Amino acid sequence: MTQDNDNGTPTDVSSLELLGAVKSFLMESALPALSGREQFNARVAANVLGIIEREQNLHEDLVALDTKAAQQWLPGAESGATIAQRLARALAERKLAPDTDFMNYLKARQLLVTAINNPRYASRAIAEKKWRARDT
Amino acid sequence: MSHEKLSEQLNVALRAPLAGKVPGDRIDQLTRLSGGAVNETWRLSWGDTPLILRRRPFSADSVDNLEGNILGLSLKDEAAVIQLASAAQVPVPEIYAVFDAAHPVGEAFLMDFIPGESIPQRWLTDATFEAAREHLAFQCGEALARIHAIDCTQLPNTVAPTTLEKRFGAAQKRLHAFGDGSPVMQLGLNWLIDHAPREAACVLLHGDFRTGNLLIDDKGLAGVLDWELAHQGPAEEDLGYLCAYVWRFGRLDKPVGGFGHYEDLIAGYESIAGWAPELTTVRYWEIFAALSWGLVCQTMGALWHSGNGDVERAAIARRRSEAELDMLLLIEAWEDS
Repeated sequence: MTQDNDNGTPTDVSSLELLGAVKSFLMESALPALSGREQFNARVAANVLGIIEREQNLHEDLVALDTKAAQQWLPGAESGATIAQRLARALAERKLAPDTDFMNYLKARQLLVTAINNPRYASRAIAEKKWRARDT
Repeated sequence: MSHEKLSEQLNVALRAPLAGKVPGDRIDQLTRLSGGAVNETWRLSWGDTPLILRRRPFSADSVDNLEGNILGLSLKDEAAVIQLASAAQVPVPEIYAVFDAAHPVGEAFLMDFIPGESIPQRWLTDATFEAAREHLAFQCGEALARIHAIDCTQLPNTVAPTTLEKRFGAAQKRLHAFGDGSPVMQLGLNWLIDHAPREAACVLLHGDFRTGNLLIDDKGLAGVLDWELAHQGPAEEDLGYLCAYVWRFGRLDKPVGGFGHYEDLIAGYESIAGWAPELTTVRYWEIFAALSWGLVCQTMGALWHSGNGDVERAAIARRRSEAELDMLLLIEAWEDS
């Protein structure tokens, strides 16, 4: 954690700051020195660090959303499977009928997941406009 | 295999098949092109002639417990399909040599380099290609109709007819094999099963006919690339696939691959085939294409976990969320219409 230190220069470096440092190295040092496939992969690697950074920021929201969904659609004992797996299996077995509430949960979840993985994906802007407008 | 070793093997292997066809006696340059998450694509010069090598760097055995052909045909079968397409007047490169997995080069084939622009971000936006883009949707319709008219009895055995039921079964099996990690993928499959169109006759499909696999010159469509996902199925599948959100490169107002409109694609198809595919069925296959893309992303993740692939493949696994988002959007649009 970075500390707010009035008495000197901060010395701790947070995980997000470490990610930023590695990203700078990739983009500013490694990428210009590489070519072809390696250069392409360096760019991909820098993008991957962006995913990790956004996941760090949004993970708790996703967990909260899934926990609430589990209470609503997965009554009963916890199994070893994740909430997503239990929901997917209930759908596969046609034991869960996707009503409006369930669809709204999936849409809200998908906006979060794409905010982590690819916030600039074109249809995300359309989805956000449609689905957020409905929420309010 | 190292770059030097591959170059050395190719120098030996290519001499006979290129003799009398392409002047030169050894490789001048060998460069791996970026992109291509399953097969490698290399550009090389034989004498002064540019050529393209497609090569599969790993054994398909690592994922052969997964039913279906998401990883695609062997390169030998892919080359056979390209040769049939060539005879059917589809713009494709000439094939010079085919090597199986036991060959020192590895599973690969060597083909012509067709001049043209293959990077969609360039030809979709550059003013140089404005006239080319204007006719492209119609030309794609024509090319697809020519592919679909190819006599299926000439195809390799691995490109066999199938049914929707089998396709759904294969997708379900794969979702289970991947640990049922996505409620949206399952919801999408359920929806596709519940809204399946009437079973139609199987034709040869390119199977990966999208903006990123087209080669464009100033006249429009110059080449159709990457035939590894060729399979049999209903004609509308190829048209819907080309219109999938994920292949529009952000240009969602141009439903055909980010460059054209449905009516031009269908008109081009009709001009060759003599019948016009139904738009509703094409749109069903857009949703199927989203599911397929999600499955490809999951397959990339599985391959990476089995030790095959680099950071690109690991990153593609995360792109499943695009497919999921599109399925939710498209299903909603379908139900609202």
